[in-house]
Amino acid sequence: MKGILFAILGGACITLQGIANTRISGSIGTWQAATLTQFTGFIVALIILMCVGAGKWREFQQVKPLYLAGGSFAAIIIFSNVTAIQQIGVTLMVSMLLIAQLGMTVIMETNGFFGLKKQKISGAQLIGIGMMISGVFLLKG
Amino acid sequence: MTGILFSLMAGSLVSIQAIFNSKVNERAGTWATTTLVLGLGFLASLTIGFILEGKQLFAWQEMQPWFWFSGLIGVGVVMSLVQAMKRLSPTIAIAIVMTSEVLFALLWDSLGWMGLEQVPFTINKLLGVLVIIGGIFVLKFGGKRERQKVSEAA
Repeated sequence: MKGILFAILGGACITLQGIANTRISGSIGTWQAATLTQFTGFIVALIILMCVGAGKWREFQQVKPLYLAGGSFAAIIIFSNVTAIQQIGVTLMVSMLLIAQLGMTVIMETNGFFGLKKQKISGAQLIGIGMMISGVFLLKG
Repeated sequence: MTGILFSLMAGSLVSIQAIFNSKVNERAGTWATTTLVLGLGFLASLTIGFILEGKQLFAWQEMQPWFWFSGLIGVGVVMSLVQAMKRLSPTIAIAIVMTSEVLFALLWDSLGWMGLEQVPFTINKLLGVLVIIGGIFVLKFGGKRERQKVSEAA
């Protein structure tokens, strides 16, 4: 039960983040909002890291540099999120984002990208994506 | 139309980033990974913003005090997800997170919250969202194949 509540809270925070970034962008600009929120988030995460023990930094050397660079995508992600919310609203943005997120994951699995175990696309995955796309048409109509 | 394209681009990048981050996470743990991810996101935004806008990047005329605390939401996301994953299987945790994302989106659109343009609630919108949630669960739970841990979380 607690796990479910945390998952719900996590989802709410993800959507809230997009709305807050959009609100801040309206006042000071989008790149400004992305820079500011990630700077403060970084400082807080760094403080938590110091408290829980920072020794694991060295483990970064064991990870491929490409994988370490994933964080930089957030600049484009936040910019796209905010621009999309301004144009099409939160519900449609989140829906399209989830379709692309799940669809891309399926594509990466099917091709075995980035060391993922290669597996055939399943009927359920196709039906699921199809349902999500129909849902978007209902939303818009 | 461009709004749709931007959403699709964001979603694709989120899925790739989730896989990259999970590879870092396996080695370095949650908080070292989160610190790295937010630090790089900050540097990338700073760099692109400075290239596009120069010194304007630092002219925050309509700054409000609470903007300084918005970064805490991201930390809240990480904490909640870590706790949810600890108690549930990654597949069910992610399905619930996504359900919550889209339901809260509908709620906040309908309320026109935080200066959002209010999007009137209709039964069609609720139906659309429910079909989308159904799709998420079919995709995540249909078929009984063993799935690799890394991709489950993406």
